[in-house]
Amino acid sequence: MTRLATAWAIFQGLLIEALPFLMLGVTIAGLARWLVPQSAWVRRLPRNPLLAPIVGALLGFALPACECGNVPVARRLLASGAPLGTGFGFLFAAPVLNPIVLASTWAAFPDKTWLLWARPAGAFVIALALSALLGMIPESRLLQGALLEERRLSQPLSSIGLLERRTGLVGAGPAKPAMPAQSTALLPRELLSHSTREFLSLLTLLVLGSALAAVVQTWLPRSWLLALGSAPTLSVLALMLLALVVSVCSSVDAFLALGFAAQVTPGALLAFLLLGPVVDLKLAGLFTVLLTPRAIAITALSASLMVLLIGQWVNLIQL
Amino acid sequence: MRSLRHLRRAAVLPPLVLTLWGWVLVWSSLSSRLDLLLNAAFHPVVAVAGVVLMLVGLIQLRLAGRRRLPVAPLGWLLSAAVALLILLLPPRPSFSDLAASRPDSLPAAPSLSFFLPPEQRTLTEWVRLLRSQPDPELHAGDPVRISGFVLDRPGEPLQLARLTVRCCLADATPAGLPVDWPAEANPQADQWFSIEGTMIVQERNGVPVSVVKPTQMTLIPRPERPLEP
Repeated sequence: MTRLATAWAIFQGLLIEALPFLMLGVTIAGLARWLVPQSAWVRRLPRNPLLAPIVGALLGFALPACECGNVPVARRLLASGAPLGTGFGFLFAAPVLNPIVLASTWAAFPDKTWLLWARPAGAFVIALALSALLGMIPESRLLQGALLEERRLSQPLSSIGLLERRTGLVGAGPAKPAMPAQSTALLPRELLSHSTREFLSLLTLLVLGSALAAVVQTWLPRSWLLALGSAPTLSVLALMLLALVVSVCSSVDAFLALGFAAQVTPGALLAFLLLGPVVDLKLAGLFTVLLTPRAIAITALSASLMVLLIGQWVNLIQL
Repeated sequence: MRSLRHLRRAAVLPPLVLTLWGWVLVWSSLSSRLDLLLNAAFHPVVAVAGVVLMLVGLIQLRLAGRRRLPVAPLGWLLSAAVALLILLLPPRPSFSDLAASRPDSLPAAPSLSFFLPPEQRTLTEWVRLLRSQPDPELHAGDPVRISGFVLDRPGEPLQLARLTVRCCLADATPAGLPVDWPAEANPQADQWFSIEGTMIVQERNGVPVSVVKPTQMTLIPRPERPLEP
């Protein structure tokens, strides 16, 4: 019973702390939809497979929020027809590559200068690699159904494979660029109602994710994970698991890491700071509005593998 | 079942659920519940978000009318139920239980290199000091005046502890001091005590450590702001 009460309190703490950031994300996504007519600027984004994720990653500087806030913004980007690479580059790198997170990392570790460049650099590399990997999967198997349909509306018909179309003219030349349906701005009333629906859908997923994270961390003794602190590979794995379970926002995770920085290997510390913003239990629900379950599994597995390699590599140099 | 379906199509449902969640945030701020859950830096953020959500919800409630919408996902009703539960069941965490499974890895305050006189130090400051200057002889005989909760870790003697929180309860980190509990005292996990006494040196597991020897022990209610930043 005591355990249950503790889990209930942790759940409330996680949820109430994340809610304002989710609201901020939905607001920014809504404003972007309202102020900028659909596709006007999105069509100017570079489509080059290398340049697109770089632009996406750098967009993080425009949104100083943590990982829960940027899911709705990434969804908005993808729904307006932005290149996949830009959407994913933003989704995976923006939680680290933004001024607040970089400042909090610096405030927590002023004496570990290597961490100040290794964290953004690692996040950047992981975002590029994940974007490249997910880019190899056909969109219809990658993106969640409703998002895919919204995205199709703002894409030129010619960029959609013949087998994926439901209607169309066979034999029409690809030269005619399809104009996006209406580029008129939404009424404020429609905008409010649309943002409300989006917020409520994401909120339901955040509730489920927070509940899962609270239950797992109440019943899994944290000392077990940190006991593995000094082994070069096991420590990296242990701290990755911790990042997955704890699910705190990327804007404060550096302060949490400060608590056990002295007990773990440097690679494990970096792994904790890199994996948390990309994959954690609280995010698992939110990602379902973007990706298919299979794509989420691929993202989680490959991000973990890359973080493990980066962690081991850092340990090899630093130890 | 039909009324449930009616409810899920009502245009007032989304703004109602939104207002309810806004109220959860506002109420959590007003009822000082946040003191138990989050670091103080986040309290204004939560209050502002709550007010904004309620405003947006109420504006839409006025505009909604009796229109019918496509059936709302069941998850929205579920989230409304969770919001009501949060309002009805305030958090009652067991600090001892929470702290028992977590290691004492108190963040060192990087800029703090001076300490207050012994009788003015809080429990957390004592733990920080003992970690930076671990020789127990240095502190023997110092007066101690601290308060904290009783931390019961399986297989270890009871300690007096505090929780440090950077973000929310999920990252709470305990800082505990060993206490030489008087024979007549019967401390129970999660009870709060205010202790006045002195620091002494005791051998535990063959190692000399600093231990608080109480001269006066008072059972106190949980403080309004139990978490340390």
